[in-house]
Amino acid sequence: MSKPLIQLIDIRKKFQSGKITYEVLKGINLEVYMGDFLAIMGPSGGGKSTLLNILGLLDRPDSGLYLFEGREVNTFSEKELSRLRNQKIGFIFQAFHLIPWATALENTLLPALYGGEITKEKIQRAHELLEKLGLGDKKNHKPAELSGGQQQRVAIARALINNPTLLLADEPTGNLDSQSSEEVIKIFENLNKEGLTIIMVTHEREIAQRAKKIKFLKDGKFIED
Amino acid sequence: MVFNRFFVKEVLRELLSNKVNLFFMVLALTFSLTALNTIYALGKSAEKQILDTLANLNFGKDAALVLAGGGRMMGLATTRTDTLKMEDIKAIERLNFVKIVSPFLGNVLEVNFSGKAEKLRVDGVLPNYLLANNWRVFQGRFFTEREVENYAKVVVLGYEVAKKLGLKKILGEKIKIGGEYFTIIGILEKKGSLGHYPLDERIFVPLTTAQKRLFNVDYLSGFKVVFQEGTDFKQNVNLIREILRSRHKLLEMEPDDFRIITPDMAIERFTKTSRTISAFLLTIALISLVISGVIIMNLMTASVEEKAGIIALRLALGANSHDIIYHYLFSAFLISGISGMVGWLISLLLIKVISLFTPLKPLFSWGTFLLSFGFSFITCIIFSIFPALKASKINPAILLKSL
Repeated sequence: MSKPLIQLIDIRKKFQSGKITYEVLKGINLEVYMGDFLAIMGPSGGGKSTLLNILGLLDRPDSGLYLFEGREVNTFSEKELSRLRNQKIGFIFQAFHLIPWATALENTLLPALYGGEITKEKIQRAHELLEKLGLGDKKNHKPAELSGGQQQRVAIARALINNPTLLLADEPTGNLDSQSSEEVIKIFENLNKEGLTIIMVTHEREIAQRAKKIKFLKDGKFIED
Repeated sequence: MVFNRFFVKEVLRELLSNKVNLFFMVLALTFSLTALNTIYALGKSAEKQILDTLANLNFGKDAALVLAGGGRMMGLATTRTDTLKMEDIKAIERLNFVKIVSPFLGNVLEVNFSGKAEKLRVDGVLPNYLLANNWRVFQGRFFTEREVENYAKVVVLGYEVAKKLGLKKILGEKIKIGGEYFTIIGILEKKGSLGHYPLDERIFVPLTTAQKRLFNVDYLSGFKVVFQEGTDFKQNVNLIREILRSRHKLLEMEPDDFRIITPDMAIERFTKTSRTISAFLLTIALISLVISGVIIMNLMTASVEEKAGIIALRLALGANSHDIIYHYLFSAFLISGISGMVGWLISLLLIKVISLFTPLKPLFSWGTFLLSFGFSFITCIIFSIFPALKASKINPAILLKSL
């Protein structure tokens, strides 16, 4: 088997609240390979979001080793982390997090703005992505004019604009009705088929079951099922 | 660094997303910029007006004013003031570099006309007074050598005095000066004011009449001397000083019992005064600018907190902290541009309004334009550094709240 895309070895993370310290992650070990589609489930407060923050390079662990494409992430500067987030990782959030005053097309192009220049190719790609996701006629609509499912599809287009290696999704269907949920998970399945690696946090079993692999996170540790 | 149309649009739309906030930021800055500009422009215009008046007085490069009594230029005399006599004038008149010597004796006296009493400056002068001061008669005539010789009881009015009496049909009328009746024979044309000194609120009588009938003295208040063109000004002034000292029999260690005021000194004195006042007002305006800076800082910090989610999103999508700092500094730059423009335009309007109600004339200058934008820019940038840094330190991890 080839080298893993992501390797976590004994990742630990504490949070302090007043005088009390919580250990949220208590030694996480995880290997994710190119083309994987992993769902992480678990009860609230189990550390899912903290783990996703660390995986998405939005937060650093207190201890342990995180290798992304074989490179140790802990040694990276803030600038290198920004670049990595921009180029290699696409984010999908439960609350979509679209910029309210920008159109679907402009929201899609946002990562391209911070990746350097908005080239003609990027604009072309944004058009193609939106069309592929069934939003061809909504390109100039603002988020408030779109349904939840449409907004999440714009967010998916935005996550894909820089052609990432990894898609990180935090409760992607948490705010959606069942029909829209079905649309989103279908898109994920197709993207995975095309070779994209996906890690998804969810607490909906039927959604998790569409992934290739499910892991349960409880009290800061993975439990084997 | 990112800079393109998309970036500019993004910054602009974020600013416009909270119009109330933007309005108050611009308002705060506009207030102090307007004050700054207006004070600066009015200061400049006041200064120019003083210089114009001095020029208008023909207090040109070849004239000097000699006042009886020693001391500082504008202060009270610190020596005797009764030593300057007509003989001194005659001696100076004989000097070949002197063109005109125009002596005067003046003080404030009660003047009665048509039942009213007013304290006015009364100057006893010679007919050459008009020539020496580049002044002209508006109506009637000035008095003659003969009238001076005869201690004639005639009077020429300054423009403002005549205006108070009613400009028409006052020639030939009589007014009472210090208890004696004088016939009005002329009105001088308008001259304006020198600083706060109203030149047109004076009346003129023959020098001899003033000495004998009004003040009962044999000395003079001073004289104006105009030199021949092309002579050495400094040397002329020194010679006059020497002549007066020797005629007044002053010892080596004694100070001058007169003061020589040259146009350079007068200009320096007036501009210095007006500059001191301007500097004081500008300091107040600058303090208000700092206050608006603090207001902008507060509003911007509030806006950064409000937009924390969007900033976190930008960071998550690959913006680095520099991009975020840059975003808010550029945002401050836009605010400074808007405020600078508004502040400048309002101050132009204000200057116009002020000029309608005061004798100050508006002075358009690109200086105020630069001042407005310059200070606006500096204030905005300095006071947006803190909110920009705060924005750049937002933790993108706050986006994932479903713990």
